[in-house]
Amino acid sequence: MKSISKHLSHYMALFGILLAGFAGLILFSYDKNFQVAVALALSLSYVAWGVTHHYLHKDLHIETFIEYLVVAALGFVIIFSLLLRT
Amino acid sequence: MQFFKLLRHLFIPHESNNQKAKLLHSSSLSLLAVGLIAFQLVLGFAHKAFPQVLGYAANISPAEVIRLTNTQRVANGLGALTENSTLDGAALAKGNDMLAKGYWAHFAPDGTSPWSFFLKFGYKYKYAGENLARDFPDAASAINAWMNSPSHKENILNPNYREIGIGVVEGNLAGADTTVIVQFFGAPLSGEAAIPVAKAKEVLPSTVKSTSAPTSTPIPTPTPAPTMTPTPASGEAVIFISPFNSTKNISLLVTGILILVLSIDLIVVRRQRIARIGGRTLAHLAYFGMILAVILILKAGQII
Repeated sequence: MKSISKHLSHYMALFGILLAGFAGLILFSYDKNFQVAVALALSLSYVAWGVTHHYLHKDLHIETFIEYLVVAALGFVIIFSLLLRT
Repeated sequence: MQFFKLLRHLFIPHESNNQKAKLLHSSSLSLLAVGLIAFQLVLGFAHKAFPQVLGYAANISPAEVIRLTNTQRVANGLGALTENSTLDGAALAKGNDMLAKGYWAHFAPDGTSPWSFFLKFGYKYKYAGENLARDFPDAASAINAWMNSPSHKENILNPNYREIGIGVVEGNLAGADTTVIVQFFGAPLSGEAAIPVAKAKEVLPSTVKSTSAPTSTPIPTPTPAPTMTPTPASGEAVIFISPFNSTKNISLLVTGILILVLSIDLIVVRRQRIARIGGRTLAHLAYFGMILAVILILKAGQII
């Protein structure tokens, strides 16, 4: 938990992104296209958060960038496949 | 022994996996994403190849929709509705019209109103109402969704209605295979002396607070007997594998395993003070935690 207190503002921003994404997916449940757009924005925001966080922490490497990209893509695939079947 | 080594390699940070569970390596995560995409492709293919086994057809019988509707009415101190075969035919015609014209709404793009189906089938109404549902796996889920929406609930529990008609149609609606339930309510116009103004009640989308739009629709000159013969609803279809439930279960499994491995990773890395290049485990945990919440909350089915 040391890293949270050390980068409180970073994690607050992350939780804000996740909360906004979650709220968007629930509130716009009547518009599937918009939900897909929200899921995509959420994934891209997660990558952006990762890059910014590691850049400011001075430990941004290509492996790290790829890791965030893959994690975000996996999350998007999960949400998208569910939206496809609702 | 070899099996435990494999488990450790997959799930726990160790020298063998460069101090990071193999499942959390970018290559493994990419493989998981590709696997999920392949699963969706197989689902789509299987639906076309084996529609009887894997389908979007739901186990919805019109009789069950009526029974559950009446259960709700009786529980709320109202009289049960009587099934009217003319209304059944009108509801089925509305469902088929939606599939044919590719719309998901109370009013067709060409302006055709739900009430025109009542009249086309010769049902002269004093009061009329419509509830629509799609993509639900069974009748109970659709009724629950309607009862959770104030405007649809108001229609189900409207004391003015006397009769009910249900149409269940399956087909491709604007590119998506689906099952549509059309629920028509009505109170027949008794007596021919005067032709009163109908109080047709339309159910608006559940997101809209307004519960009704009691537009006054003049009843036209009484129409002759129904000209269209109601066809039997395809309500006895049996579903063996639901694409939505399969996708949800696979997603839950993958996300659950990832959250477990990430939690183990967080604990082991902190305890052993492992330094490594990579993303923040805590951030990944929060991200997949949010994904898990979305999976749990998303439900099949829409109502209007």
